[in-house]
Amino acid sequence: MGKSVKLIVALAIISLLSGGVLASVYSFTSPKMEEVALQNQQNSIFEVLPGIESYREFKNDENMIIFEGLDSRGDIAGLAYVAEGAGFQGKIRLMVGLDLDSKKINGYKVLEHQETPGLGARIDEEAFKQQFSEKSLTDSFKLKEDVTAVTGATISSKAITDLMKKSVDEVIKIYGGGK
Amino acid sequence: MRAWKELIKGLWSENPVFRMLMGMCPTLAVTNAAVNGLAMGLATAFVLICSNIIVSLVKRLIPEEIRIPGYIIIIATFVTIADLILAAYFPDIQKVLGLFIPLIVVNCIILGRAEGFASKNNVLYSALDAIGMGIGFTWALTLLGIIREILGMGSIFGIPVMGAGFTEWVIFVLPPGAFITLGILLWIINSISKNKTVEGDCCH
Amino acid sequence: MLKDLLLIFIGAVLVNNFVLSRFLGICPFLGVSKKVDVALSMGIATTFVLTLSAAATWLIQSFILEPYGLSRFLQYVSFVLVIASLVQMIEMFIKKTSPNLYNSLGIFLPLITTNCAILGLALLSVNKSYNLAQSIVFGVGAGIGFTLAIVIMAGIREEIEKADIPEGLKGAGITLLTAGILSISFLGFSGLISM
Repeated sequence: MGKSVKLIVALAIISLLSGGVLASVYSFTSPKMEEVALQNQQNSIFEVLPGIESYREFKNDENMIIFEGLDSRGDIAGLAYVAEGAGFQGKIRLMVGLDLDSKKINGYKVLEHQETPGLGARIDEEAFKQQFSEKSLTDSFKLKEDVTAVTGATISSKAITDLMKKSVDEVIKIYGGGK
Repeated sequence: MRAWKELIKGLWSENPVFRMLMGMCPTLAVTNAAVNGLAMGLATAFVLICSNIIVSLVKRLIPEEIRIPGYIIIIATFVTIADLILAAYFPDIQKVLGLFIPLIVVNCIILGRAEGFASKNNVLYSALDAIGMGIGFTWALTLLGIIREILGMGSIFGIPVMGAGFTEWVIFVLPPGAFITLGILLWIINSISKNKTVEGDCCH
Repeated sequence: MLKDLLLIFIGAVLVNNFVLSRFLGICPFLGVSKKVDVALSMGIATTFVLTLSAAATWLIQSFILEPYGLSRFLQYVSFVLVIASLVQMIEMFIKKTSPNLYNSLGIFLPLITTNCAILGLALLSVNKSYNLAQSIVFGVGAGIGFTLAIVIMAGIREEIEKADIPEGLKGAGITLLTAGILSISFLGFSGLISM
């Protein structure tokens, strides 16, 4: 019995040391990670809403992350929002840009994904992304209809297409019917 | 001299991928592009070197019965550190390698070297062993990645090399391509070298 | 809800087979696929561990890691420890209760700890935000998919042994080429379910 206790104590000590080391590495790196995340958010908003000067968050009850892009005169020039859904290997997060005047999608930027490198990950490549630029908000968003999947990555492609459809509908609903 | 021997054995004669068939999961999974293979190899090498050094330093302090869980904690700690550092300073690589960074924890090579070598040798030799194995793993993965990328995407490290008329053999960046490429590489290596592959312990 | 679970199950077994598509569990797949009965035992033991560890890691994630914000830096260490302990406990339990079972399955258990499918499954479930039921079904599916792949491979290898294989391909080489062909055939399942 004494031996078991000694083993458990030894294991506990190792675990505590590990936990301590990790907590400190984490506290050291997490500000940098947050900074990277914020920078990415900024970059992605400016990327999907070309021509804006600044942006502000549009608070809503649904917890959807929506930003209004403002041009140099302070008028609303577009909408950017974060869409999140399940992909093939994990969560996919996109920043989608909408042009409110023409009721079209500007495009999207992939914020986060865990799709297979070289395959599902190609949803981040221009060839696939291009299909969504200038797409009307009322399109059907279906593979084989108005979207061509990435070869060998049907599931990832479908995930994006479905996510776009669902999120566009949701944003239209939240931001205000009729706009 | 012995130090040199410990260092270079991982490069060819005891190459973890081609000789010992260890660490197969990442070898097949993240080699669909050369840069992915290289990044994975380096990340694994980092963890391998750190864990070999620490395990060698504390080998007398950890009771025999809990040495495996103990080593696992040490390895998992370094993997987490690698993950956090990548996420903070090289976020693009971290995104690409994704799930396979934490899977370095259960990469046979690391536990295998910790238990089989670092727990029985001094720090210097353990470090050299790890460096050799790490480089061996890295070049194997990078080679596999280069071949699969050339055939499957017509490029090396993103630079197109095959010319406009080349139709990519997409199968090579898909799962079957991984198996086939590695199989053929093993065939070539086994044919040109006098020693055969010796399957590492963790595979049996 | 049931349809959802069924999709997860079929997805794990056929569409995104853990071995042939996600590259998880390759080490035992290459090493323990020489004889069908041995392969089957390994598959069953792995399925068992997968299912239990799916549940165990889900509990740890939901009740300890997430509520206290520890997930980002303690997840890997705690998951792998839970898995290692679980395997240890299962081994002791089987040894005590059924020596027969221990002789056929138990010997594989220590190996299963380093099977990347176990840790891979746990992490994938968290990434996909599966609830407990979904995680468990995912685990069962992953195990059955693994068993399917390893048993098929064993069946093929038993036959290949009788053929005249070039010296350089014997062992791992021919297994990998065979796995490549198997993987191509499993690619055919990719359109099977619309997730």
